[in-house]
Amino acid sequence: MMGLLNILKKLRSNPDKELRLLLLGLDNAGKTTLLKQLASEDVNHVTPTAGFNIKSVLSNGFKLNVWDIGGQRKIRPYWRNYFENTDILIYVVDCSDHQRLEETGQELAELLEDEKLRGVALLVYANKQDLATALPASEIAQHLGLHLIRDRTWQIQACVATDGTGVKEGMEWVCKNIPAKK
Amino acid sequence: MTEVLSVEEANQDRVQTILKGFQVNWMNLRDADTGKILWQNNEDMSSPHVEHEARVPKRILKCRVVSREMNFSSIESMDKFRIEQKVLFKGRCLEEWFFEFGYVIPSSTNTWQSVIESAPESQMMPANVLNGNVVIETKFFDGDLLITTSRVRLFYV
Repeated sequence: MMGLLNILKKLRSNPDKELRLLLLGLDNAGKTTLLKQLASEDVNHVTPTAGFNIKSVLSNGFKLNVWDIGGQRKIRPYWRNYFENTDILIYVVDCSDHQRLEETGQELAELLEDEKLRGVALLVYANKQDLATALPASEIAQHLGLHLIRDRTWQIQACVATDGTGVKEGMEWVCKNIPAKK
Repeated sequence: MTEVLSVEEANQDRVQTILKGFQVNWMNLRDADTGKILWQNNEDMSSPHVEHEARVPKRILKCRVVSREMNFSSIESMDKFRIEQKVLFKGRCLEEWFFEFGYVIPSSTNTWQSVIESAPESQMMPANVLNGNVVIETKFFDGDLLITTSRVRLFYV
């Protein structure tokens, strides 16, 4: 849990007492693995999430809640139930899943149009960069049309959730972009 | 009067329906610095009539940060699912954590993990004092309706 605890420590000056990070993306994008990596947990036995996984960290009165919601098609209609009060949206993409690039782009576009997520800063993890067939983050950004986003700050971060490469850098961006007040 | 009763009955029906499809699949305790599991149990610990026992390695008391994790399934959807978790020492509350999940997806399996930094070692009670006297009590609610209570008594071995 060190990664998450460290985030909280960096946020001591933030007046907001409770932070909510929402982790979304298609099934098999690596959301749960990423969350486990942040907590230095074993990532070898991750199974598809058929609901949500939440990690809550409390430190000196500050609370951080990370919500990882399953990405299977039949669960996606329920995503909206978890949008409220989100401080940062983290969207995870499997960069080796060329066939579903369009699908993941559509899902993200829908999220960005949602009223409840309006203006919420967006971090995209371009995951699975260790795979030979993975597209680089720049190409993923293009596919997702990130450069067209005008109503929020965003960042794309190449990563390998299974070994932690790039994960920390993404979370540092998250720390810098936590809104000062809701 | 009859109306009041029927609301009460409807609530009890609702609780029974949710409870029938509700199960705690496993619980674990981790050293949150290393992410390593120190104790895990795979039996349903949500049964309200049984006090469950956990044999936890003593060294957990040396951990700077400990996480408690539970995995649960629900067949029914819930709108205002929440948990009240307390760590009790001889019935006295040492620590409590209220968490509001909100919506629970029908036929879903979910996990909740909470992490708290431990008291400084100097303030920590020794294992022989804590042994058998600490209970983790978790109450599951949908809104104001109590669905079930799970009690796990800790033994430090």
